Amino acid sequence: MVQPNSSKKFTFNEQIDSSYLHSLYENDFQYIEEIFGTTLSHFDPDFEALQQAWQQGDVVALKKAVHKIKPTFGFVGLTHVQQQCKEFEDICQKAGTTDDISQLYQQIVTTLAASRELIAAEYTKLKDYNSNHL
Amino acid sequence: MKWTSVIVEDLQVAADYLAKCCEKSGLLEVKGHFTNVQEALNYLNKNSVDVLFLDVEMPGATGFDLLDQLAYYPKIILTTSKQEYAYNAFEYNVTDFLKKPFTYQRFQEALNKLTSPAGDSNISSTASDHIFIKCEGKLVRLNNDDILFIESMGDYVKFVTPDKKYITHNTIKNLEEKVNRQCFIKVHRSYIININKIDDIRENDLYIKGNEIPVSKAHKSDVLKRLNII
Repeated sequence: MVQPNSSKKFTFNEQIDSSYLHSLYENDFQYIEEIFGTTLSHFDPDFEALQQAWQQGDVVALKKAVHKIKPTFGFVGLTHVQQQCKEFEDICQKAGTTDDISQLYQQIVTTLAASRELIAAEYTKLKDYNSNHL
Repeated sequence: MKWTSVIVEDLQVAADYLAKCCEKSGLLEVKGHFTNVQEALNYLNKNSVDVLFLDVEMPGATGFDLLDQLAYYPKIILTTSKQEYAYNAFEYNVTDFLKKPFTYQRFQEALNKLTSPAGDSNISSTASDHIFIKCEGKLVRLNNDDILFIESMGDYVKFVTPDKKYITHNTIKNLEEKVNRQCFIKVHRSYIININKIDDIRENDLYIKGNEIPVSKAHKSDVLKRLNII
């Protein structure tokens, strides 16, 4: 569930569940920056693996790729994206071919691409915040 | 003394977070991070650890495949994002099951299970690189690598090393549960041997530094499975 921004020290984008982030990292913003940085640096290969699986029509590889990238979003507070990934993973499990899930794939790819941009923007904000406050 | 641990996890951010939790606890030393089962097995077959943090779905083999191939059982904490693996976790007798991402408080709860009386029984014994035995009124440290084999002598056992023999009050049955199963294997009701010290095997006997040791029919297939036969 997405919560309104609740951090006293840093205002996260409204799509980020800041209460959830607080439950993971408390107010260790330096470490949160590290988490966002690590997530970003490993995001593209995982996202590409997912897109490649689709292009090859390999629904099993697609399921594996979305399974791998799924927890990433939890670590950066995008819990609703994590949930969307879970639902897509479950659909892949049942799907016979990639043709069965074409529309849902387009939706998830759009969501993931937008999430990447959001993570990148938050990472920049966190870096600025930490360099000014620590 | 900290417990040694290894993280087997293909998602970097999850591995980093886990390592951070281990560091914060002050109880665990992370000896390595591996992103797939084969790399982890290569390490674990040469090094004992107390605790294994194990993801389930990884490229290639799964975490359960690793457990099937591991020669010994450290304490296992599964880390996965899929609740459905909980039943398998139970089957493999894992200590806990952490659904990613997990809070530090949840991580601490998992550590508490490691330290429970039931969970503590084989840490520092089955996963250690040495044992202490009571001998001649003192506790003597024996490194696993120095022990050739252990022989039953009724209510006593004899630890045989290249230089010396140590006799202590114990039984093979009891020691079977206590020694590091990565190095040692029971080959007969009266013998536990160091698998790395076998010179050769003929019919129903094996030889270690000139000592002839019987291999019972019941244990022979287990022994052969553990050898690197090419």
